Amino acid sequence: MDDAVTRSYEKQAESLMGALAGTDELRAQAIKDFAAQGFPHAKAEDWRYSDLRALRAEAFEPATHAGEKPEIPAAMTECAARFVFVNGRFSESRSDMGDLWQAASVRPLANHFMANPDRATELVRGRDGVGLLNTALVKDGMVISIPAGVEIDDPVEIIHIMTNAADCAAHTRHIVELGEGASAHIVERFIGDDLAYWTNSVLQARVAEKAVLHHTRLQEEGMNALHTSKTHVNVDADGQYHATCLSLGGKMARFEAHVRMMVDGANATVDGVALTGTGQSHDTLTHISHSMPHTTSDQIFRTVADTRGKSSFQGKVTVEKDAQKVEADQSFKALVFDRTAEANAKPELEIFADDVKCSHGATVGELDEKAIFYLTSRGIDPKTARQMLVEAFTAEALERVENDDIRTAMTAKVNAWMAARASK
Amino acid sequence: MAGTAEAQKQVEDVTGEYKYGFVTDIDMDMAPKGLSEDVIRFISAKKEEPEWMLEWRLKAYQAWLKMEEPDWAKVNFPKIDYQDSYYFAAPKKKDGPKSLDEVDPELLATYEKLGIPIREQEVLAGVEGAAKVAVDAVFDSVSVATTFREELKKAGVIFMSISEAIREYPDMVKKYMASVVPVRDNYFAALNCAVFTDGTFVYIPKGVRCPMELSTYFRINAENTGQFERTLIVADEGSYVSYLEGCTAPMRDENQLHAAVVELIALDDAEIKYSTVQNWYPGDKDGKGGIYNFVTKRALCKGKNSKVSWTQVETGSAVTWKYPSCVLAGEGSVGEFYSVAVTNNYQQADTGTKMIHMAPNTSSTIISKGISAGKSQNTYRGLVKVLSGAENVRNYTQCDSLLVSSECGAHTVPYIEVKNPTATIEHEATTSKISEDQLFYCRARGLDEEEAVAMIVNGFCKEVMQHLPMEFAVEAQKLLGISLEGSVG
Repeated sequence: MDDAVTRSYEKQAESLMGALAGTDELRAQAIKDFAAQGFPHAKAEDWRYSDLRALRAEAFEPATHAGEKPEIPAAMTECAARFVFVNGRFSESRSDMGDLWQAASVRPLANHFMANPDRATELVRGRDGVGLLNTALVKDGMVISIPAGVEIDDPVEIIHIMTNAADCAAHTRHIVELGEGASAHIVERFIGDDLAYWTNSVLQARVAEKAVLHHTRLQEEGMNALHTSKTHVNVDADGQYHATCLSLGGKMARFEAHVRMMVDGANATVDGVALTGTGQSHDTLTHISHSMPHTTSDQIFRTVADTRGKSSFQGKVTVEKDAQKVEADQSFKALVFDRTAEANAKPELEIFADDVKCSHGATVGELDEKAIFYLTSRGIDPKTARQMLVEAFTAEALERVENDDIRTAMTAKVNAWMAARASK
Repeated sequence: MAGTAEAQKQVEDVTGEYKYGFVTDIDMDMAPKGLSEDVIRFISAKKEEPEWMLEWRLKAYQAWLKMEEPDWAKVNFPKIDYQDSYYFAAPKKKDGPKSLDEVDPELLATYEKLGIPIREQEVLAGVEGAAKVAVDAVFDSVSVATTFREELKKAGVIFMSISEAIREYPDMVKKYMASVVPVRDNYFAALNCAVFTDGTFVYIPKGVRCPMELSTYFRINAENTGQFERTLIVADEGSYVSYLEGCTAPMRDENQLHAAVVELIALDDAEIKYSTVQNWYPGDKDGKGGIYNFVTKRALCKGKNSKVSWTQVETGSAVTWKYPSCVLAGEGSVGEFYSVAVTNNYQQADTGTKMIHMAPNTSSTIISKGISAGKSQNTYRGLVKVLSGAENVRNYTQCDSLLVSSECGAHTVPYIEVKNPTATIEHEATTSKISEDQLFYCRARGLDEEEAVAMIVNGFCKEVMQHLPMEFAVEAQKLLGISLEGSVG
């Protein structure tokens, strides 16, 4: 990697010293490790389907406040609160705190560490260059702590907007904590303009005993954007984590979900749909680690790749030694629209216990001509027929979105994406 | 748990006691220890090779020196000291045996002990009315005997050691050798190119169906040696051949390296069936000793409607690291891979296949069954790749793992890379142990636990075992220690 790039990031990290109480040491170590290893190379196993040349070529400057007022997207449903981040910075004036603050502790990262500098060690450090850089350059984020027994019914939206931020990056870090028996639905949205910016976001969550966390991600970055985001979740006894991710935007978008099933009875579902259009690359990596017995997980992923699109999925399930009675399933299906499109899959099982039931299935193909024929013979025009089939194809992966309005909105986005593909 | 204990015992029966661990005491010709240009010159001279061959080897050696040993497989072993091994070991011979009668009786006894029909009149023990099998017996670094040559010659089939082929059919060898696995393909292939000592060459002419099964039997005997052999099989238009490969080695505390290269070429409408029963010494119960089996096997389906089928039963070796692959370059060509891999004690296996679909209407099937016991690690790693010009590709992949101890590991790492919309790719994988329900069901019908486990393990492997030629099925059956309900053949 270009030394100038490394130096630039070192300088950025230096300037952030003192920004978040208690984190300086962690930041210093992260940038040191980053300088040593750089961004993941195309030959790095986990990154074989993503091209990070743009990141290696030049350093992305820290994004500044937007000059103009960005438009805030309408909420998909009634929300308990909406937190808006513009170019990586929390914008209190644009946010709607609702009445969430009455039931839960909600504050920006800086305030959180000001009050608890000793909790800086809880930050997930990251292993590859992308994750390390988030730790080294993090400035802002939301800390949402739901106390034991509190159930937040309406979703909480975190909206990331990138505007006027050409060649700039935003490194945000959100922390979600659910106390015993608590429940919440976090909706993360990513939008931006057509400039070449970089969103590098991490959300880390702790789901305590019997707590239920729903996590919906809607990625609609601009078509020249780089998007890398990671989710790190630990699930305790009988806790549940349900994630659904819809990826639409970005020139190169990469999403990682790392879920650890920490105690007996933990359950996780991680689903997603990626619709990859012209010249886009969508790469999803999941790693569900069953460290304890009697934990279960299920994953459903569907991708559609159009002209010159590249959609990739790497899903890994690890069952550690003595984690008996684990059940883990995974299903990946990809549609490829034409000969310039590409679908890659690497469903991986890593199993060190014997009394387990693990499976994965993966298929790649095109839309079923017979099904199209069936529909058209019943008077449906071919375009609508295709749209219906794609809707049905993706429906399974969106089914577990718990909020009806949000699920409907996501389905509408799938249909809009298909509608924009006139000839398909 | 009783069921697990039974299953464990079954697998131990297979891999626990190694029956081929004896050493043959015979005078050997050895190259000096270590690897250098001089050793390569020594090997080349010993084999009376033409100049071009030596140059080719030296080039490969230079390439190898610049390469790095790969480490991506899920296997762990101490670093190999390439200078601490002999690269050439051959039984001393006077003038070279002209016929079987002249082969050292000690060697014949060895093969007899291994149950290999090196005498032409013999048929495989235990098989009534078995078909004739032609054998090329490779002992350490050299081929010591090739049987049924005359009879095969009548059919036009060339079946000889590769050293002879280099002398007798240099054009053919030049044309095909390293055309499927290039010299620089990988670290171990490059090493093999530099130091390979013997192996088998097979050519089946146009339209000929090879009249008998061909087989090569590899035996590592000498201490501290590596075995590096090459197999090259060319099936001309419309021909068919079934080829078998078996291997054993004595029990030794040190690890020995076996790095072979196998290249198959199928022209229009040709079919090659390649079966392996790999039973190298797996090391003892504590993981001491055993063979490192790092083999590059690749088939090129060059012609239209050609077909290559790999079947492997992997029970031996301390570390296995191999991926028999098919490059489907001919329109309508077919690739198949059937594999049973059993690991026990401290064995490690990272094996699987690659199916590269380059041409339209190509199809491939992958059935992989892994059984892990003891403290072993068993990994399936495979790639199915469809290039953008390959229309109507069909692939079906199934990899199942059976775990029979709580300390072993079973891993599945499939890669699917598709660049054409008309492809239909299916992949399924499961990992489980023998369930209580299955056992209960069988026992409720009067089977005892042992029979029940045997039946379930049997059923688990059946899809693969039925693809083995009968001659080999017997050996594989013995290896798995489990009856196959007469479904083989």
